[in-house]
Order: sequence, then C-alpha cells, then structure tokens
Amino acid sequence: MAGRNARWRVADLPTTQVGVERVFTYFIAGVRLGTVAQMVPAIQDGLETSPNETAYLACWLAAAGASVAVTVVCLIHRRPLGAAASTADFALACALLLLAPMVLVPGERFGTWVAFQAAYALSVILTASGVRSILLWAGGMLSVIVCYLVFIGHTGTHMTTTAIGNELTYVVYAVVARMLFNYIRRIAQDADASRALAAELARREEERRARVLMHNGVAVMQMLAHSGSDASRSGLVGLAEVEVQRMRAYLRGRTTSSEPESGAPGAGDDPIALAPMVERTCDRFADLHLDALLDLGAAVRLPRADAEAVERALESLLLNVRAHARAENVVVHLDEDATGAWALTVSDDGVGYDPESVPPGVGLRDVVIGELNRRGLDVTIASAEGEGTTVTIVRETGAQ
Amino acid sequence: MRPTVAVVDDASLIRDSLGLLMAGLDVVLTAATVEDLLRASPAVDLVLLDLHLVNLEQQPGVRQGIAAIRALTAHGYRVCVYSQEERRFVLAACIAAGASGTVSKVLPTDQAQRMFLEVAAGGTVVPQSVVGILEVLVRRDCITVLSERQRQILHGRARGLTYAQVAKQLYVSESTLRGYWQDLTRSLSESLRSLTAAEIERALGLAPGDLLEFWAEDVTDTTGWWRVRRRP
Repeated sequence: MAGRNARWRVADLPTTQVGVERVFTYFIAGVRLGTVAQMVPAIQDGLETSPNETAYLACWLAAAGASVAVTVVCLIHRRPLGAAASTADFALACALLLLAPMVLVPGERFGTWVAFQAAYALSVILTASGVRSILLWAGGMLSVIVCYLVFIGHTGTHMTTTAIGNELTYVVYAVVARMLFNYIRRIAQDADASRALAAELARREEERRARVLMHNGVAVMQMLAHSGSDASRSGLVGLAEVEVQRMRAYLRGRTTSSEPESGAPGAGDDPIALAPMVERTCDRFADLHLDALLDLGAAVRLPRADAEAVERALESLLLNVRAHARAENVVVHLDEDATGAWALTVSDDGVGYDPESVPPGVGLRDVVIGELNRRGLDVTIASAEGEGTTVTIVRETGAQ
Repeated sequence: MRPTVAVVDDASLIRDSLGLLMAGLDVVLTAATVEDLLRASPAVDLVLLDLHLVNLEQQPGVRQGIAAIRALTAHGYRVCVYSQEERRFVLAACIAAGASGTVSKVLPTDQAQRMFLEVAAGGTVVPQSVVGILEVLVRRDCITVLSERQRQILHGRARGLTYAQVAKQLYVSESTLRGYWQDLTRSLSESLRSLTAAEIERALGLAPGDLLEFWAEDVTDTTGWWRVRRRP
C-alpha cells in the first residue's frame, strides 16, 4: 500500500516531462473538484429562486458531472485533456453561460454561487491551460468571453465595471496559467535532455574507462599468445597477473585494484610515493635492458589515483617499447625540482616513428595522454624515425 | 689500425673466444689473473678486465674488483671492465677506481666491441645507471666543475635521450655532441674519483656506511678489500 500511495504523492513524482503532465492533472483535478465543492452549498438557494427549477438542476448536474468526468479522465490518462475533450469542455461551459439567463433571476448573476456558471467557465479555462493547440485554447477563451456577455445581459451601468473585471479575470488567468504550464513543460524538457546528455556522457566515460583498463591487458595477452619461448612467456606472467587484478577490480565495480569500493570515502586520495611504484613497474620489464633512474624524484608524492594512472601509462609505454621499438636501451628517469614540479621521462633508442604521420593508438591516446591530461599532467612525445622515442610526463608546480 | 688489447678473465672460454668474436680488436695477450698480466707487462692500448676473478679451485686469492682496477691503472694501463655486474654502485666504484669504462657482458657482441673501441681510442664509457648517479652528484653540488652547456648535455643523456635528440636540442651536430660527451664523461669520472664514500652517501640520501661495501678506499692488496658477491 505504501508503494501505491507513494506513486500519488507530488513529492515522489519524477521531474520529467511525464511527471510534469501528471502534476498538471492534479492541478486540474483540484480546480475542477474545488469548483464543484464551492457550487454545492448554493444549490438549495438556486433551486428555490430559479424561474426554471428543473433546468437549473440539469445545468448544475451537467457542470458537476463534467467536472468529475474531466478529473477522472485526466487522472486516468495522467495528462491534461486532449483537443476533442477540451472542445467539448469549452462547449459545455459556453452552453451553461448561454442558458443561464433562463435559469437565473437577473439579480443573482453577480457575486453569488447560485450563478455558478461564471466560476465554472473559469475552471474550464484553467483546465484548458494544458491543451497543446494555442488556437483551441484562444478560441475557447474567446467563446467563453462572448458567452459571458450574453450571461450578464442588461444588468445596468452600476455592474459594468464588475462585468469588465470578470472578463479580464478570464483573460489574465488564462494567459498566466498557460505561460506557467508551458514554462514548466520547458523545464521538464530541458531536464530530460540534460539527463539524456548526462547518461550519454556517462556511457562514453564508462567506455573510455573500459578501454583504458583493458588496453594493457589485451597487449599482454597478445604478447603471451605470440611469445615463442618459455623464457619470454615467463617474463610476461607477472604483467598478466597485474592486469588480471585490475580487470577483476573493475568487474567488482572498483576503479583500480587498490581503490575502495565506489562510493566509499577516500583512500583513493592518499598521497603515495611515485618512485617505488615506477620501480615496481620497471621490474616487470627486465627483458628491455631498462635503467630506472629515480633518485632525483625519490620525494615525489601524489594522490594514489594519480599514481596509479601514471603506473598504467608507464606500463602502456613500456609495452609499446617491447612490441614496436626494437630498442637496445630504455631509460626511465624521475626528477623533481626545487619548486615541487616533477617529470617522468621514458626514452628508448629504438626505431622511433613520425608522430605527424602515425596516429596514436588506444594506449598512447587514452591510457597515456587522455588519462593523464584528465588528471592535470602534461604529456609530450618526441620521436623521429631512427632516433628513438621520448615521452615526458610533467606535473607543473601547483597543478591539480 | 686495430687497437691492441689484453684480456683478463678467469673463464678460459671468454679469453679464447674474445679475439675471434671481435675482429676489430687485436687481442695480444690473455690472462686468468691481474698478477699474470702484470708479470707479462704487455704494451697494449686497453685491458679488458673481468670484475670477478677469484676462483676457489684454481685461483682463490687473486686480486679482483676495485683492487684489480687500481693495480692495473697504477701500472699505466687503460682499463675497461667487462662483467655481468649490474649493481650501479659497484659500476660507479669501478669508474671511481680508475676504469675508463664498464661494459656489460649481456650486450650484443658488436655493441660491446664498439664500446671497447671507444675506450681504446681515449673515450670513457659510463653505463646509464652511473650517468644517473653522476647527475645526482652534479645536481646536489657534489661535483661543481660543469659549465651550463655540460649540464644541459648531462640532463639530456641522463634521461636516455639519444645523441641525435640532444644535438637537436642544443643546435650542434651529432659528432660535436659526441665529442662534448667524451670530454664530459672523462671530467665527471675524474671528479668521481676525488669523492669519498661519505660524500656520495650524503648526496644520494644513503645512510652512512651504505657504500663502504662497494667503495673501499686505498685498496691495493688482496686482503680486506671489497669483494663482489655475485658470480658472473
């Protein structure tokens, strides 16, 4: 029951276009049923004073029945009236106004709920604020205004200002209510569009994360699949184990193997030393004849998540060197200056390539440049055919 | 003209095959110990020296390591260490002891020969890991003899940039840069020789005594001097 009740609560309605249309039906129901409630106390007086008791009762029942019907239809369909129903609603309001002189005595047409027709017409105008067609809305409103003129008839000059005021009430309420309906619809539309955009961006971000995470793993698996000797295969096993850990952490909903469950507060921001992490990564590439010169950057510390991004980038770079560079020597150098800015340089003396003509692959583009730039780290690549490749990862002083 | 070379290595296979594998070298003498070489006193351009010469079965008490380098350089020989040793402080200690180069036995033959020829021609071959140590010593003002240009070259080479890349950065030709680098490594090696272990420990942020194992000073005899643990 709680669930069923909750669906009817305005506070629980979604702030979507669908939710907004549903709220409009609540507004319409309130206006229509509220009008009926105001009509009820005066019915006795109306029947007693009406020159045609039966016709008055028929008009009253028609108005009350239509209000209830409109309310039910709107609540069931969860949206304001459509064009046909709204036309019928306007037609009934106009008919009641036109019939009013026959069921009311002249003195009761102003300022009494015995003459319920004028207030009923206003509730119809407010109901029509949700109609999409502006022509139907404007036409209906004009019809009501004209019929109201018939309704007031010749009442004498002392009531003219009141009549004009009532006519203006129709116009002002109609315009204001319609503006409000349209504006709320626009907000809901924009909210839906923003949600769709956010969802699309989240999907792309997830795709990027998956690409970043899987890239190194795929490279290692390719090397494992094509490694000829047991010696080269055993060298890759350590790398494969690290990648498996990362992928498992990803599948469990964690960003990295060492980060907490998503949503948990913080250990991902704990600063850690970069040099030992770089050294561990280099140890997994012992076959590359690699020199890791990290003394000058021994004091570099950075948030764990950033350090792990650097580690993934370094691994991706070294996988590239192993797969493509045919290098005799590889140097990984870490340096921090007096201002706290630091640079991690990865150089090889391999075959190099022309960065102008060779577009970067997923590893370089996403895992290295994209991922590190997102974290405020600059990446520069210098390479030329036959002259090796140098990639420098830099954090300037004060960069976040 | 091929440089004349003497080879000191306890492994007969290396002694016998080096001259055959490296046609650019004129191997005029091979010896199992430094003592044998000094007794023969050959006139050679270069001595290729294995760091680990102690052999428990055949030559248990011979000079090796730093003592061997010092003994050879004391007799005027130009020494290039040819070893599987990779620990950077050991390699730096060899340079500090007077070796003009250290070359790893894991390198391809042609690359190793290229380096031997470079040392024989008067150059200095410093492994990358030792270049890293030298850069730290320069940055921390332990070695202060460098010009701005030399600092730039060391900066690039320490980061593994090729001669071509550094030459491009400094707007000089590659051959000019190689000359600069030769002068620089010779100068740095000489500066390294003048430093004590304690000074280097301080510069590298090591604890006092950490380098004593590698950096034995005034070692000229076979007793009590540093021994390299790892066997080639």
